[in-house]
Amino acid sequence: MAMSTSTDAGAADLPRVAQDPANARVSALLASAARRTPMGDTPAAWLLLLPLLLFFLVSVVYPLIETIRLSFYDIRGLGKPTYVGLQNYFKLFSDDNFTTAMIATVKWTLTSTFVSVAIGWMLAMLCSLSPGRTLPFRVMIFAAYGVSEAVSGFMWLGIYRPDVGLLNALLGSVGLDAWQNPWLGDPSTALWAVIAAYVWTQVGLPLMTCFASIQAIPKNLFEAAYVDGAKPYSMLRHIVMPLSLPGVRVAIFINLLSSLKAFDLIFILTSGGPVRSTETVGYFMYRESMQNFKLGYGAASTVILLLGVLLVSIPVIIKRTEAAR
Amino acid sequence: MSAARNNDAMIGKSSPWATWLVGAVAFLWIIPIVGIIVTSIRPLNEISLGWWNVEQFTLTLDAWRTVWDKYPLAYAFWVSVKISVISTLIPMIFAPMAAYAFHFLQFRFRRVMLIIVINAFVLPSQVVVIPLFVLWRKLGLIDNIWAVIIPFAGMSFAWAVYLVKSYLDDFPRELIEAAQVDGCGPIARFFYIVLPNSLTPIAAVGILQFLWTWNGLLLPVVYLREELPLTALLARIQGVYDRNWDQVAVAAIVTTVVPLIIFIVFQRYFTAGASTRSGSKE
Repeated sequence: MAMSTSTDAGAADLPRVAQDPANARVSALLASAARRTPMGDTPAAWLLLLPLLLFFLVSVVYPLIETIRLSFYDIRGLGKPTYVGLQNYFKLFSDDNFTTAMIATVKWTLTSTFVSVAIGWMLAMLCSLSPGRTLPFRVMIFAAYGVSEAVSGFMWLGIYRPDVGLLNALLGSVGLDAWQNPWLGDPSTALWAVIAAYVWTQVGLPLMTCFASIQAIPKNLFEAAYVDGAKPYSMLRHIVMPLSLPGVRVAIFINLLSSLKAFDLIFILTSGGPVRSTETVGYFMYRESMQNFKLGYGAASTVILLLGVLLVSIPVIIKRTEAAR
Repeated sequence: MSAARNNDAMIGKSSPWATWLVGAVAFLWIIPIVGIIVTSIRPLNEISLGWWNVEQFTLTLDAWRTVWDKYPLAYAFWVSVKISVISTLIPMIFAPMAAYAFHFLQFRFRRVMLIIVINAFVLPSQVVVIPLFVLWRKLGLIDNIWAVIIPFAGMSFAWAVYLVKSYLDDFPRELIEAAQVDGCGPIARFFYIVLPNSLTPIAAVGILQFLWTWNGLLLPVVYLREELPLTALLARIQGVYDRNWDQVAVAAIVTTVVPLIIFIVFQRYFTAGASTRSGSKE
């Protein structure tokens, strides 16, 4: 409010305004805002937004610009950065490790999304047959989604360990000794083993979103179908499945987005090994920048990851932007 | 429960086989969780035959007792609490302020800024790793918990503002206008009218952010060396001392027990919240 009084004083008290150009600018802004909008809330709005803007600048805007900028530089450890143009990107696409990481990311993202949404959706439909009695079971499955990936990783180590892992012991006890395998140590199975563990953590979410969509289906639809003599299976096929698609879509999107960024579980279970067979792009950037200290190279791979995430998010970005009022 | 029974009736006959099937899957699902609990309460020589092996079954709290001396578990717990609480309070306080400004105030660049902020949910945390590593190194913030708190808090605004603002869509505008007529300024309107009536979304922001920051691994691993929260400590001891399977199991349980309880108690918030965080609210 002190600011608005200075507007009034400004005309009479010229020297004071001259001493304080910032104040004059604020007053001018204030006046224009008051003209433009009925409420004239500009200073209050900026004051309320100030904390958000500070945090946002430091941890979103600056890193984003800086990641893109650094991707054009060659930086080794603490050495001086040298501008190399698109060299990092050319190198990435001729780097076999990066190609492997891209393929692993695509496998990881598509498989984990498809499998966890499929399982979650089926379970949700089964649960909707008796919602009351399956409540504890839903909580049990959903609980895995609340276990941190670091801890899930440790749990799954206990299953995959070649010596006393549960999986090998089970295979042994049913006579399938030939199938026993050092699951995480074998480059041909390691990625799938980590994906299976990841699916374990993720199924709870599609289960819950799909179940919520099914519960939202108007009951009279079922009554009408029942009166018409529809069998439970055809109700499932023609009412429940199509009408639970909103929940399925949400789950697919969330899962795509979070599996593209995957890092934690890989870090605990395999650290990207053996022979970098479980490295996704999100892990590749960690290895190149934080372990090999090639910050520019790591930044370039982050930009590729970001492009992938943006690609997946386009529909949601458009939806949000249109709805932003 | 009565609602549940209604639903049972709705699809026709309730089918016991479906319940049995889901139950079987659910018990299969918690095997990994049961595994670490059993591992933590049996002596090492028995676990090395497999935690499920019951030829010889002894219960012991040895691992629970020794682990505290061996690893800085209590300290890591404290670090986790500090990091999660601070990086949860920041968006709990500032995101509603911003959401209110975006929703009820008129100012220049409002829509542009809003669009930028709510779409920032797409950024993976990998994007902050390198630039902030360089910046923190210059500022001497490596191994300082603020190195993790600042990006945790900063990246949360994208979904937190969106969550609170979606709630404000249903907020009665008449209340705001009445206060305005009574001479209540824009900031006072926030503190006296909007804030006390938006505790639901603020609680949701708090619960979601607390769990996500407690469970976070990438940023602590990159920016912290000795001030490790539980997840990062677990990653470290798991890699170095994996002979003491029982003690690592204790560390894993300690790491996950707080968030898991909160998660199960407040699970409703999660289905809704996870959607907001990744941008699709349906």
